[in-house]
Amino acid sequence: MTTPQTVMIRKTPVAYAQQALKPKMGELNGMEVALEFEGASVENARKQLLGVTDVSCFQRFSVKGPQAAAWLAAKGMNTPAAINSWDDAAPGTMILRLGGSEFLLEDQHSGDTCALLAKGFKQAEVAGVYKVQRADAAFILSGSEALDLLSELCMLDLRDSALGANAVVMTQVAGISATLLRQTLNGQQVYRIWCDGTYGPYMWDMLMEVAKELGGGAVGLSCHFKK
Amino acid sequence: MKLLECPMNGVRPLSEFLFGGEYREMPDPDGSDDYEWAGYVHYRDNAPGVKKEWWYHGPSGTWFIAERNTLTDEVLKTYLFGKDPSGKDQTGSKPNKNQTTGTEQSI
Repeated sequence: MTTPQTVMIRKTPVAYAQQALKPKMGELNGMEVALEFEGASVENARKQLLGVTDVSCFQRFSVKGPQAAAWLAAKGMNTPAAINSWDDAAPGTMILRLGGSEFLLEDQHSGDTCALLAKGFKQAEVAGVYKVQRADAAFILSGSEALDLLSELCMLDLRDSALGANAVVMTQVAGISATLLRQTLNGQQVYRIWCDGTYGPYMWDMLMEVAKELGGGAVGLSCHFKK
Repeated sequence: MKLLECPMNGVRPLSEFLFGGEYREMPDPDGSDDYEWAGYVHYRDNAPGVKKEWWYHGPSGTWFIAERNTLTDEVLKTYLFGKDPSGKDQTGSKPNKNQTTGTEQSI
């Protein structure tokens, strides 16, 4: 007798906060994610003005320790030399250097580097490298008003001079600890925010509240990534 | 808005930081007598002046030392533990529950 295999689908950390918007849901990397909220035309317009997208479903892998940089380099990853900076670790995967010896890798929609690293990581076989469990809520802020939104929720000046092209800023957004950076996505400059997953619904609510004030709103994942 | 400079992350609002207590040199646990050890654990000198203090930057999880004048609230410099730019290195331990207040012990 065989037991039917059960495939567990996780909910995004912000699922509860998104319920009222009744998004069209899909699945990516074993996690439910909002693909669309109000149709492509509305969301494309929001994306240009001010859009908030939940990308908590992207795969992540994080290590720290005195040998973390060397271990990642040995795995063929391009590690940023400067602290608090980010780069492309491999095609489709970004790597953030969080301080001196901690790294966060995140696959961008289609990458699978994190899954491969996680699969090949054996703690007992690696000295000076320690896996860090991540349970982030992650967001994309897009549009011309994104900086105005951040200026309402963050005390730091995040204009170009403060948040450079490859800079990582660890600060507080809406009163909670968050990691921020600026990246170019499909030719558009966007901002990325990571925070602890347990704060996900709160962060979503805060981002949405200010976004609505500024004429923006929720944008589904499929608006940024067609497949 | 009060500001404090984290040696890893730069100048940030004070609301991003937690105070970790004064940094005090811990006597050798094996070489000190009970009187000296009890003084380290229990006694505090609250006279205002320039103190070395532990501070914690929450968003990045960075512990560091700030030298602060507790009379004027002026922060003279901040640096990572063991990396005092003046070359005076620390040999003590990270903050614990016994290091929440006070100044250099004087008994």
